[in-house]
Amino acid sequence: MLRRYHVVGIPLRIVVNNFGDHNPDGRIYVLKENEHEVRELVRKNPFTPVELVQPLTIRACAEDTVEILFENQLPFKAGMHFQEADYDVLDSDGADAGYNPDTTIPCGNSIIYRIYASREGTYFFTDLGNISSTEEGSSIQGLFGALLVERKGSTWTDPVTGGTLNSGVYADIHHPFLPSFREYAWYFSDQMEINDLTGNRPLNPMTNQEAESFHGVNLRYEPMTNRKRLIEEGVVCPDCDSEEVHHDSWVFGDPATPILRGYKGDPAIIRLIHGGVKETHVFHYHVHQWLGDPTNTQSEILDSQSISPQSHYDIQPLYGLGSLHGAIGDAIIHCHLYPHFGAGMWGINRIFDTLQDGSQCYPNGVPIAPLKPLPDRPEPPKPTPERPGFPNFIPGKVGFKAPRPPLGIVGGREMTVLEKNAAIPNARPGAVFVEPTLDDNVNVVEFNVSCIEMPVIYNKQGWHDPKARFYVFDEDLDDILSGKKEPEPLVFHVPAGTAIRFNYTNRLPHILDGDAFQLVTRTYESGFHIHFVKFDVLCTDGANTGWNYDSSVLPGETIQYEWYADTELKAFFFHDHLFANAHQQHGVFGAGVIQPRFSEYFDSHTGKETPRGTQVTVSHPLIPDYRDFSLFVQDFTMLFDKDGCPIQPPPFPGSEDDPGVFGVNYKCEPLKFRLGEEGDPAYSFSSYVHGDPVTPILRGYTGDPIRIRLIQGAHEESHSFNVHGLKWKEERPDLGSHFNSQQHTGISESFTFETELKGPGDYLWAFETEEDVWLGTWGLIRAYEELVDDLIVLPDKSCPPSPTTPLPCPTGKPPERAEPLSTLPPHADPCAPVRRYDVVAFQTPIMYNSYGDHDPYGIVFALAEDVEDILSGKKNPEPLVLRANVGDLVEVSLTSLLKFDLFPFKDGIHPYPPVKEQGFYPPSLRISLHTSLLDYDVRTSSGDTVGYNPDQTVGPGEVITYRWFVDGQHGTCAMWDMADLRNHRSFGTFGAFIAEPRFTTYHDPYTDEEVKTGANVVLKNPLVPTTREFVLIMHDGVRLEDKNGQLIVDPVDGIIPPVEEVDDVDTYDNGSRGFNYRSERLINRYRELPDLSKLFSSEEFGDPATPVFEAYPGEAVTFCLTNPSERRRAHTFHLHGHYWKFDSKDLDSRVQSFEGHIVAGFTADLRLIGGAGGVYNFPGDYLYRSGNIMWDIEQGMWGLFRVHDKFQPHLPKLE
Amino acid sequence: MSHQSINQIHDEGLIEHFRMGKGHRVFILTPSYPFMFIGIIKDVRADVVDVWVETTHFSQLENRIWHIHIDNIEVFYIEREGEPEIPKLSEDYY
Repeated sequence: MLRRYHVVGIPLRIVVNNFGDHNPDGRIYVLKENEHEVRELVRKNPFTPVELVQPLTIRACAEDTVEILFENQLPFKAGMHFQEADYDVLDSDGADAGYNPDTTIPCGNSIIYRIYASREGTYFFTDLGNISSTEEGSSIQGLFGALLVERKGSTWTDPVTGGTLNSGVYADIHHPFLPSFREYAWYFSDQMEINDLTGNRPLNPMTNQEAESFHGVNLRYEPMTNRKRLIEEGVVCPDCDSEEVHHDSWVFGDPATPILRGYKGDPAIIRLIHGGVKETHVFHYHVHQWLGDPTNTQSEILDSQSISPQSHYDIQPLYGLGSLHGAIGDAIIHCHLYPHFGAGMWGINRIFDTLQDGSQCYPNGVPIAPLKPLPDRPEPPKPTPERPGFPNFIPGKVGFKAPRPPLGIVGGREMTVLEKNAAIPNARPGAVFVEPTLDDNVNVVEFNVSCIEMPVIYNKQGWHDPKARFYVFDEDLDDILSGKKEPEPLVFHVPAGTAIRFNYTNRLPHILDGDAFQLVTRTYESGFHIHFVKFDVLCTDGANTGWNYDSSVLPGETIQYEWYADTELKAFFFHDHLFANAHQQHGVFGAGVIQPRFSEYFDSHTGKETPRGTQVTVSHPLIPDYRDFSLFVQDFTMLFDKDGCPIQPPPFPGSEDDPGVFGVNYKCEPLKFRLGEEGDPAYSFSSYVHGDPVTPILRGYTGDPIRIRLIQGAHEESHSFNVHGLKWKEERPDLGSHFNSQQHTGISESFTFETELKGPGDYLWAFETEEDVWLGTWGLIRAYEELVDDLIVLPDKSCPPSPTTPLPCPTGKPPERAEPLSTLPPHADPCAPVRRYDVVAFQTPIMYNSYGDHDPYGIVFALAEDVEDILSGKKNPEPLVLRANVGDLVEVSLTSLLKFDLFPFKDGIHPYPPVKEQGFYPPSLRISLHTSLLDYDVRTSSGDTVGYNPDQTVGPGEVITYRWFVDGQHGTCAMWDMADLRNHRSFGTFGAFIAEPRFTTYHDPYTDEEVKTGANVVLKNPLVPTTREFVLIMHDGVRLEDKNGQLIVDPVDGIIPPVEEVDDVDTYDNGSRGFNYRSERLINRYRELPDLSKLFSSEEFGDPATPVFEAYPGEAVTFCLTNPSERRRAHTFHLHGHYWKFDSKDLDSRVQSFEGHIVAGFTADLRLIGGAGGVYNFPGDYLYRSGNIMWDIEQGMWGLFRVHDKFQPHLPKLE
Repeated sequence: MSHQSINQIHDEGLIEHFRMGKGHRVFILTPSYPFMFIGIIKDVRADVVDVWVETTHFSQLENRIWHIHIDNIEVFYIEREGEPEIPKLSEDYY
């Protein structure tokens, strides 16, 4: 079917809330038929949000052809680029890439884009005519939308009227033989320009400084600052503070942000879309869970999900609205990054239990808009005076804080008559209006927990949080307060199928005192908000949302909650929801772990049965016993040094400009304290030199199965968890899933990694971006070979041998050198074929582009045979790419030729790109090679000198030969140096290892000769199709100089149009970036031709310096993508006109055209569906690029994939 | 002389084995929901085993007869006297 839409890009004032905050320079796409109306409404309502001003959301069905007539009325060249779509790149790309015709258009012109909607999904669209990250840009100012492609045969109606619908973020979708569902498009966006009513930048009434930048949903935001002002001015709720009522509709009425309305049990899909430019957000949806991959029933269950710019996911709540137990009420949806949440990035899913036909009002008198029941579901009961339905049975008072729930607070109130009418028959504390358990005969456990404040010391150097706040079991209160027991994040363990009754006492002081980090805040109430389990959201949310009750308590009070763990779950996050932005970073977080039914848990030291602790031993009568470890990473950690000086305070108290440092489980082990007498960073992780770190050491015996629960407790930033030497299935329930040894995480996300300690030794775990490790977010997993006194043996394992040698202890000296050739990797076949590589690490300048941007201090790995050509300038170095086949034993001999004189910062202070807490850390002349995913003996071949492992680095003139076994078709593995994180990685000490299928040979794409290395090869295999393999190493934190030798300070130096300075540049935004030691920084092109729409054009500028990969239509192509470096800002990768399976090995996996949250250690294999040119095999130039408008694309993170229509003499076709 | 195929002989053998196990405790894994059963074999009708199920993954599905088709059984163990016992799984936690 052919569908046509006429879309206009217009400049428009965007009013983002009822306080009159607005973007005077907004840019949006609208349907032509709405253009006049929207302009008129905006003209007449200069300070009120206009419903039609929203991201354009249009719909089609799978297999439709969609013709978009795009008309540009914007004051610059613009277009529409569609992700996920099939289209002819020569006429419908919406860009001017390579040698393609320009498919952006100037103001006043029109163009037709023809989109083949081959499959269901979210076809996000945005503009590539103006990729400026400044307020002169397009995406940043609102120019994005989506074509939502429904199942073939679907129709859609307006949820309010039931009538037809041409566009809109909300629709009811119907199908002849599938259930109807509610569809909600939810667009995160950030950094948009905002003025307040007065035309000035909004101020934060707490700090009197400029407020946080825009973080919103569907071009709306509802910041705490505006609502606080109403309290301060006595308009509402004079006894309130602000954060505790930020989401309270009783006080303020409903927010301007989206309210997703439905009836209990309605099937629904939230099309989660990131239209913004910078941040990787965490989408969290109270009460509900969904499959991480909706097409794969064996994928992980999520309730929080990270999303990077220009990416999208389907959130399909399991069991429909209200989840399994049929909750009613307001379920808040928000970005879990607290500063963003506070800035207004939230909305509500409102679940009604009575029919809304337009005759009802909210308690504040605002009419409730009608909501058509889905046609294939029973109509909800009509409201009656006795049973008015949510929210009108709740005895609240408009203008004041929401009432406390009945029954829950010890010594609190009973139910009113209306509440009784709405309650379940056996209403009890914490379960009043919905039955969370599935039957009456359920197993029940009870915990007594309090929240307290006391100082906590984070490391041996005396870094401490004088106002740490955390949860404790009441049984542990005395021991913790007396110092007998060290505080750690609270973790409890319960078996699946259990009802959990929780008595929570608020023992916090009323006041969170002020200091260099924060202003005095009256944190007078707190709650216990929980993820994943089933509960009554009205009174057990531990929050204060919408028209719900305020389910928190005042100091000294106890509240009872009840939750039900219906099935085995991961670790799940809990925290306070009332003053989270104020004190969660002080430690107010923890986790529950729902273990398999019939599990028993033991203290791993004493063997005593216990349901709590971050390290326990789990025993089960049917499945193998295991060790269970919980790690909580935290940022915005507000510490003081031993002298009482604040560590990394923000510019002013109350600022959310990345205050403080980092921790794991209330500990940190910064590298600058681990230099030792030798002063060599290569031994920073060595316990021989410095003793064990204070951070968690996860202990077991060789062969023990382990489960690592990864949770982020606080507060705003992305982190990248890596374990060296171990790997796990990405989708734990799915045996077809691929292996990973790295995971991006954002606050509130939870992951379980199931693996085993395959051999003895110390395994490094680390949140492995540079600044994180620098500040101490690393530790060890220790596998013992012999019995130790203070670690019980897993009950189903035989006892390890008695100790024959004493355990190692610190010597203050570097360890002995490792002898990798003395052992085999644990899973290696002794008869495995051996593949050998001679690799040399040395310093050499690297030219990043033709404009003379270069790294004069490059440090690279190269094959020995290439060193001379590189040093003589014949070859411009590329990151080293090694390959081997499954079953190969790989022996990599590494030689160091590093010279001290060639390092730029010989004084030991590396100024740029910066990290927090700079310190003396002189360059190491030692170097190493570490790979992810492969099998090796961690004591000899991990490339780490960690814990009590021998030295696996090499000094000048030394050689070490690592042994790695390729134990699976892992595809791309990350590869990097571990000797000196500060002085090496920025300069290029990384590469990639590709684990190929057995019997594969690797060939030069131009000569067909067999090759040993290279980012661009042809793979030949007797059993699988000949394939082009393109390796892309996406890296950041690069230190470049221009052709005149002047330091390039990116991102500021690369912003287009040029600016003097920018706000919001965090330490981890610093540095240049690109692919494979190349960067086509657009500022260089812009200086030659200041036309934003032409910057990707090869006709104007020639091809970019970044790799231009070539193929013929239909040829099999795999992109191997990895990020071995170093900054914490997560990136998105997008390849125009193509898509692939999210999990390359899993046939059930979803299909997508992007990779999100790319940070250090990330790897992926993108096997292009349909091959080069996509399923239609269209020839042309396809952009590959970052999705981060701010600040990746300007900085050169892009390149070209060229699909030739005609035979090229230099490029043989694949056989 | 029998004209049964090897598959028929295999199935007959399996059915007979379960029939001989009537009244005994059994442990069964299936590829479909709810994946695991522990209970007592009450009867075998044609190629369907009736099990009084005392334990599965979900308590809501226990203490009732399940009719399990023999082709859906991937792993099983029938407890007999003098042989290892199938664990008695308890939820008496705290």
